[in-house]
Amino acid sequence: MKKKLLSVLMSMVIAASLAACGGAGSAEGAGAASGDGAQQASATGGSGEKEFTAFFAVPGAEINDDNEIQQMIADKTGVKVKETWLTGQTAEEAVGTLIAGGEYPDFIDGGDGMKQLYEAGALVALDEYIDKYPNIKSYYTEQEWDRLKQDDGHIYWINQFQNIKGKDTTCTHNDEAFWIQTRVLEWAGYPEVKTMDQYFDLIESYNEANPTMEDGTANIPYTILCDDWRYFCLENAPEFLDGYPNDGSVIVDPKTKKVIDYNTTDTAVKYFEKLNDEYKKGIVDPESFTQTYDEYIAKLSTGRVLGMIDQWWDFAFTAGDAIKSAGLDEKGCMYVPLPITISEDVHNQWHNSGGVLNVASGLAVTTSCDDVEGAIKFIDDLLGQEVHNLRFWGVEGVDYEVDDKGIFYRTPEERTNAADTAYKASHLCTYSYFPQWLGTSDDGKNANMPSDQPGEYYDSLAGKVKDCLSAYGAKTYVDMLGTNEAPGPWYPMYSYSNNLTTDTDAGVAWNLMGEVKHEYLPKVVMADDFEGAWDEYMKAYNNCKPEDFLAAMQTELDRRIEEAAKFQ
Amino acid sequence: MKKKTKIDLNTIKKQKALLIWGGLLTIYGFIFYYLPLTGWLMAFQNYKPKDGILHSQFVGLAKFVRLFSDVTFLKVIRNTLAMGVINLVVTFITAIAFAILLNEVRSNFGKRTVQTISYLPHFLSWIIVTGILHDALSGTGIVNDILMKLGIVDQGINFFAHTQYFWPIVAFANVWKETGWNAIIYLAAITSIDPALYEAASIDGAGRWAKILHVTLPGIKPTIIILLLMNVGNVLNAGFEIQYLLGNGLVQSVSQTIDIYVLKWGISQGDYSIGTAAGIFKSLVSIILIVLANQIAKRSGEERLF
Amino acid sequence: MANGNNNINLKNPPLSGSDNNNKNRAAAAKRRKVSAGDKAFTICNTIFMILFVVITLYPVLNTLAISFNDGTDALRGGIYLIPRKFTLKNYITVMQKDNLITGAYITVLRTLIGTLLALVTNAILAYIVSRKEFIFRRALSLFWVITMYVNGGLIPTFLLYKNLHLTNTFWVYVIPGTISAFNMLVIRTYMNGISESLTEAAQIDGAGYTTIFLKVISPLCKPVYATIALFVAVYQWNSWFDAMLYNRMSDQYTTLQYELMKLLSSVTNQGTSAEAMKNAMGTVTPTSVRAAATIITMLPIICIYPFLQNYFVTGLTLGGVKE
Repeated sequence: MKKKLLSVLMSMVIAASLAACGGAGSAEGAGAASGDGAQQASATGGSGEKEFTAFFAVPGAEINDDNEIQQMIADKTGVKVKETWLTGQTAEEAVGTLIAGGEYPDFIDGGDGMKQLYEAGALVALDEYIDKYPNIKSYYTEQEWDRLKQDDGHIYWINQFQNIKGKDTTCTHNDEAFWIQTRVLEWAGYPEVKTMDQYFDLIESYNEANPTMEDGTANIPYTILCDDWRYFCLENAPEFLDGYPNDGSVIVDPKTKKVIDYNTTDTAVKYFEKLNDEYKKGIVDPESFTQTYDEYIAKLSTGRVLGMIDQWWDFAFTAGDAIKSAGLDEKGCMYVPLPITISEDVHNQWHNSGGVLNVASGLAVTTSCDDVEGAIKFIDDLLGQEVHNLRFWGVEGVDYEVDDKGIFYRTPEERTNAADTAYKASHLCTYSYFPQWLGTSDDGKNANMPSDQPGEYYDSLAGKVKDCLSAYGAKTYVDMLGTNEAPGPWYPMYSYSNNLTTDTDAGVAWNLMGEVKHEYLPKVVMADDFEGAWDEYMKAYNNCKPEDFLAAMQTELDRRIEEAAKFQ
Repeated sequence: MKKKTKIDLNTIKKQKALLIWGGLLTIYGFIFYYLPLTGWLMAFQNYKPKDGILHSQFVGLAKFVRLFSDVTFLKVIRNTLAMGVINLVVTFITAIAFAILLNEVRSNFGKRTVQTISYLPHFLSWIIVTGILHDALSGTGIVNDILMKLGIVDQGINFFAHTQYFWPIVAFANVWKETGWNAIIYLAAITSIDPALYEAASIDGAGRWAKILHVTLPGIKPTIIILLLMNVGNVLNAGFEIQYLLGNGLVQSVSQTIDIYVLKWGISQGDYSIGTAAGIFKSLVSIILIVLANQIAKRSGEERLF
Repeated sequence: MANGNNNINLKNPPLSGSDNNNKNRAAAAKRRKVSAGDKAFTICNTIFMILFVVITLYPVLNTLAISFNDGTDALRGGIYLIPRKFTLKNYITVMQKDNLITGAYITVLRTLIGTLLALVTNAILAYIVSRKEFIFRRALSLFWVITMYVNGGLIPTFLLYKNLHLTNTFWVYVIPGTISAFNMLVIRTYMNGISESLTEAAQIDGAGYTTIFLKVISPLCKPVYATIALFVAVYQWNSWFDAMLYNRMSDQYTTLQYELMKLLSSVTNQGTSAEAMKNAMGTVTPTSVRAAATIITMLPIICIYPFLQNYFVTGLTLGGVKE
């Protein structure tokens, strides 16, 4: 009997030793390196390049150790960064553990835990270094650098995103909108659709005339994603309908400089009453409030859903790709945004041009880094145009081509490669959480990001989408909505509300409001008696003390305006 | 039958081997299970990572007061307890029943095959299982299909929109995923039953049902009791993932558990103290429950934990 | 030794033991007419088992189908048992993950060492607290029972391991948590069921505690040892959180599951911004990668399982063990 148990163990040992043979090389190599502290930045390979570590408290794609472009960047800059990403924890938890242990990677973006890192004294003040490095220095204006200062007057992190150099060439409307399938617009002869009522009328009449798709499956006229934090697809439309931009948590009246609660406006009542109406008519998908994100994406992917509210990025890279790969985009099932407001005299601000500086987080260098100078120089190097192109376009002739006018473009094969998970891991290296530019490159011709390159963008659109755009005299999604300058120096207010914690009354109120809206808004839409349900909702809502939250938002708004005044 | 052993030099000498090994393992247990409990201090502090446990500000029972004065927290205790008890009862009974019935399968091949398949769902993550469950229970899913064909309902039920279905769905998901796995322990226990007992029962003319009742069940009773005692202490650990994945705004009043509450109002707010306070509360309830359960077991002369 | 005889009596190979078992039962059954009730029972039981197999097999087959289906296509839903657009891409993506081989090596190692260590320590502890005459029997049991319900939390535990120099080492996988009160109590319960007459007989022959543990108790405990070995092995095999927490920066100690989790979270659709989503999406989707990773993880366990299964499915003949 002993033999039996032994044979089981033996079979496991054999399996292990087989694996060991395969892994011996890497394990031995690693064993040698493990002698000194694994945290240490140490020279690797024979080339003598410096290796830094980085941790980003967001989920992200790890790249392979032998990544090709990473090596090219290392050859140019002498630096390689080993990146690790958040897995299976919240940002706060991950950061909390790091602080408790007192050991940090060289670079860090703590996401929502950034403030904790600052308070723990884990970050290096960057002020004195910034002036020495021209690429970093010019990354933000004086005013923007000032906004990044913490309460001790120093700058500790550099926000990496949404920063525009040269000309804003944004083609995609990356943000929220009322979306509609091109087949609906085509059927109606590309009418002007400007108000919420017109939008739903159009969907209703299309659905009446065409209740099913070509293959006989029933259309879903309008669905609402409501899964967890994604319920913004249900709740924040009133701010846009009133013609305000996405401040996220409140409306800011640019004239009076006062915050307005968009949850309780007349427009909010009208919007939810409309949804309630459409729900009763069977236009709103009855599974709206119970579907998961995956189910929602599945519905969109089959092309059955005529319209919905969402952020572009929330469905385009999932359902959008599925629609394309099934050829449904050529049947008019791809979505375009519409400039919807509550009434025709309200001007829409669904799209804002220009960058958005989110001061709440960014890339920082930690006190564990033994070569701060080298680390900062590397950030500077990454912003140089040549390296920047290498990061986001790749290698010329391999990842993109250049035509005789010097314009970058990609062949369909290169475009496919750029989206391939394995190819990305072994070949591409964007250092995506290091500072980066949008807009146009130093040559004045090309966009910094392939997705912003107009030719590249237009080529990737389906014929039906091109038809639809040209019927409205548009070349890009942004043209469909028109664009607006950022409303004021306070924008966006969500960078404040996102970081409210339950330490404050405002934070408690903000969290409770979220809970109540999450539970009651679906009930309001599904209610037989709208008035009654709305009253009940308002009662629960007012119990959360929204006034505490609004007062804090007003204070922050005033502070931001005052800060900005210093630079005028 | 039971004699109290007196502690004297002679017994100590006799039990030397037990004492040495027991002592070593106690030291191990102390280091790895009891030392980290210094972290419980965090519940009485306004813990900030920058200050650590040593230098954070003490706030007494403030965190506990905050928890228990929040109606939402009282509601999540109710939810956790309800789901914990339902899950305990249902998964317990199904696992035992499955183990016994599987043991009754005559064909060796059948027995092995069924058993191998039955535990496989254990290896699927909750996100896969809840995904399939969502499919099956959707308006056009197989469950509504069957219900409509049988004429029980004439329109698909939106199972996830009504609070009354949530707890049963969670219980079913647990049964589905874990019955085969949980049964393994009972199957092992059944192996220790003396076959002569079955034979004797057969000679007495007992049918299979009678043999289950009078041989198999009593044979695995100690295992059942011990697992029951241990699980009674776990009723407040009704889980996190499954409720999080199956829940939505409409049913959040019955779906949120203590663990979800702690994540929402504690950890994701950078407040570790709230989480620790809730953890201490859970521990206390668990220990009280198992001490009570253990007493009951002791009184009725059953196998007990300690 | 006298108890050697006992051992010989017990040494029926499991398979023939079960044959005997069945034969005995069959013989007993022949002695009387098979009752109608028994027949009905068999039929009902068979139907129930078939139903049960269908219900539990479905999610596994569904996962298998999705793992072989094109990721983008699978987003549309409606895949049940057969892939709609067959591809090996998901498996290729998983297999190409960097560090996978190191991870597999470490995982096998931790499963082996961890299981052995846990088996030995839990068995010893269970044996100690199963001795009725042991003076600290109750106290020691209580001491361990409590460990099941208390938890110092993430940060204190992290600090402890750091101070013990367990972080950034392999040993953090197998040393903490090797004794689990749950496993220990399951073994103890089984040991309690073993007839005291056996140990008494051995004691009379002059056997000490160690000898009794090794020669009398342990051979009888194989079914429960196999069960616990399975539990621990599966736990070790599936663990990834400890690798993430304690060896985040030590690639040489990464585990298979941690690499798979990293891959999965890198294609996740939980991105909360355009940046995150653009980073994440590729030709594979979280659902398809998860399916492939799940199947890859399950395979070794399915392969090893039949060996362990011998110990707790085919009934062993343990004549005279029970009181």
